[in-house]
Amino acid sequence: MLYKVLKKGSYDLFLAKLIADFEFIGPVKKDKATHDFKKISDIRKLDVNYKRTTIAPAKKILYPSTETLLQYEINEDIEMSVDYEAGEKILFGIDACDVNGLNFLDRFFSDEMIDEPYFSKRRKLTVIGLDRMPSDTNFSLSLGKEYAKDGFDLFLTDLNNRYFVRVGSEKGNDILTKYADVSDAGEDDFKDYNKFMDTYRKSFKLKADINNLYDNYELIYNNKDFWNRVAKDCYSCGSCCLVCPTCFCFNVRDDMELNLKKGAKTREWDSCMIPEYGLVAGGHNFRPDKENRLKQRYRCKLKTFIDRFGTYSCVGCGRCIEACLAKINIAEDINAVKKEVSV
Amino acid sequence: MSKPKVGIFGLTGCGGCQLEILNLEDQLLDLFAAIDIVHFTEAITEHSDNYDIALIEGSVATKHDLERLEHISKIAKVIVSIGACSGIGGVNCLKNLYGVEKAKELVYGDKKEWIDAIETKPIDEYVKVDYYIRGCPPNRSEIVDVIRSLIVGKIPEIPNYPVCVECKRLGNTCMYDLGKTCMGVVSRAGCGARCPSAKSGCEACRGFIDDPNVNAQKDLLAKYNLKIEDIMGMFNLYNACKKTDRKTI
Repeated sequence: MLYKVLKKGSYDLFLAKLIADFEFIGPVKKDKATHDFKKISDIRKLDVNYKRTTIAPAKKILYPSTETLLQYEINEDIEMSVDYEAGEKILFGIDACDVNGLNFLDRFFSDEMIDEPYFSKRRKLTVIGLDRMPSDTNFSLSLGKEYAKDGFDLFLTDLNNRYFVRVGSEKGNDILTKYADVSDAGEDDFKDYNKFMDTYRKSFKLKADINNLYDNYELIYNNKDFWNRVAKDCYSCGSCCLVCPTCFCFNVRDDMELNLKKGAKTREWDSCMIPEYGLVAGGHNFRPDKENRLKQRYRCKLKTFIDRFGTYSCVGCGRCIEACLAKINIAEDINAVKKEVSV
Repeated sequence: MSKPKVGIFGLTGCGGCQLEILNLEDQLLDLFAAIDIVHFTEAITEHSDNYDIALIEGSVATKHDLERLEHISKIAKVIVSIGACSGIGGVNCLKNLYGVEKAKELVYGDKKEWIDAIETKPIDEYVKVDYYIRGCPPNRSEIVDVIRSLIVGKIPEIPNYPVCVECKRLGNTCMYDLGKTCMGVVSRAGCGARCPSAKSGCEACRGFIDDPNVNAQKDLLAKYNLKIEDIMGMFNLYNACKKTDRKTI
């Protein structure tokens, strides 16, 4: 890894040049208290000082909520065509746990096969991360996801009068060399960076105690009373999944035109919290009860991918906590259930 | 394969659902090529009693409605309800909250005996409905989807998830974050979160999802300092006919 320093005065110019040369996506203010990742053509629209998380996670750039996978036309033969949008893009201002979210999806969408709709966009995406103080619902520190080791091209940390820049790829280095006036990081820069990281790690208000969670997970999973209590408030609305930076489940729809000649296959974000998720042909539903759906979602986040990939699939960004109208809080639930089964 | 014969009927309602079929515009020719429309209350003068599929708009609010519905149900093999009035009773059900006699008096005064109004009900209170196209007005693409599914013999995919799903897919700011009231969390989607996308809370025109957490919804609205009248108003605007839902408040 290369470590560079970008002067505060040249930061705006650096971004302005990137905005001019690339399709540039960054956080912009959306409504009263919400922000969203959007395409930016004017640097004044960029607003990195958002207190909450962005509404939708950055995965929407690589894995849109609705995406045409395939179009077909039935003549004598069936003609099929694919068109995955893939221009060079820069994603700017994404924080460490969101970078870890993308890392998880990279792994997931390349696990058994390469998901071309995802990777056609991923290959052309330059990720420039930016450290920011944790929002109230962010508990990524507890899961070890508050720091991004990789998965970015550049990662900036604001040290008041300058930016500490971690260079994560050759592409990142090329961009930095071409568009920014930087110098190598020295001893003082590292010292200040470490000081920032200390303060940052001390700023997490929400914590989940994950000690012994893995080994006792079956005990937790089978604690029916607990899941029934949490699920009592749940609307089964699916919001927690749909705002999650690592939820990958999708449904594929077949849409044909009325002439029955042309059609398309479309995938759209799905959620395991919706009753129809477990519905199969013949009408059987594997998870008709919301308590079962809820505990399954928690298991997917906290256990399943430890077994599969050696990592939590939850990055602790806190979006599900913010989005839940019933105020269901995964971090507090981890702490509560652990106390209940005394582990 | 001969084209299925379809009748499009309107009971008590504004006629907007039938209008949405006419609004299909660039798909109309394909629609006429796929089905044979033998009756269309709003668009065709001619009438035939020879149809397989009946698309019925409007709720049963008069004796005359009931007679027509019974007649249609004797002929049609498949009954499809279109719109809020037909499927859940819709705004016509507000009348029931006053009582039929009182409502007639309020609206028609001393001419009230001219009116044959009865308690408003959705059509499935009288006949078996095979499929529902929801909404006020229904989504045009869903009308096409249901008709196409019937032609190819597929079960139409009508969402049974709440509007929240569509809002999140679209990246909408939650109405509660904007200080507004919204029924989206217990209401059936399929509209593409039309109202919240225009920053207006969902009013449940497609009815409720099959298993709505209505008690939690009540808590939620109370948390945002809404009066019970506001909550009742939102519940009742389209769904006053649903006695089961009313009871939970």
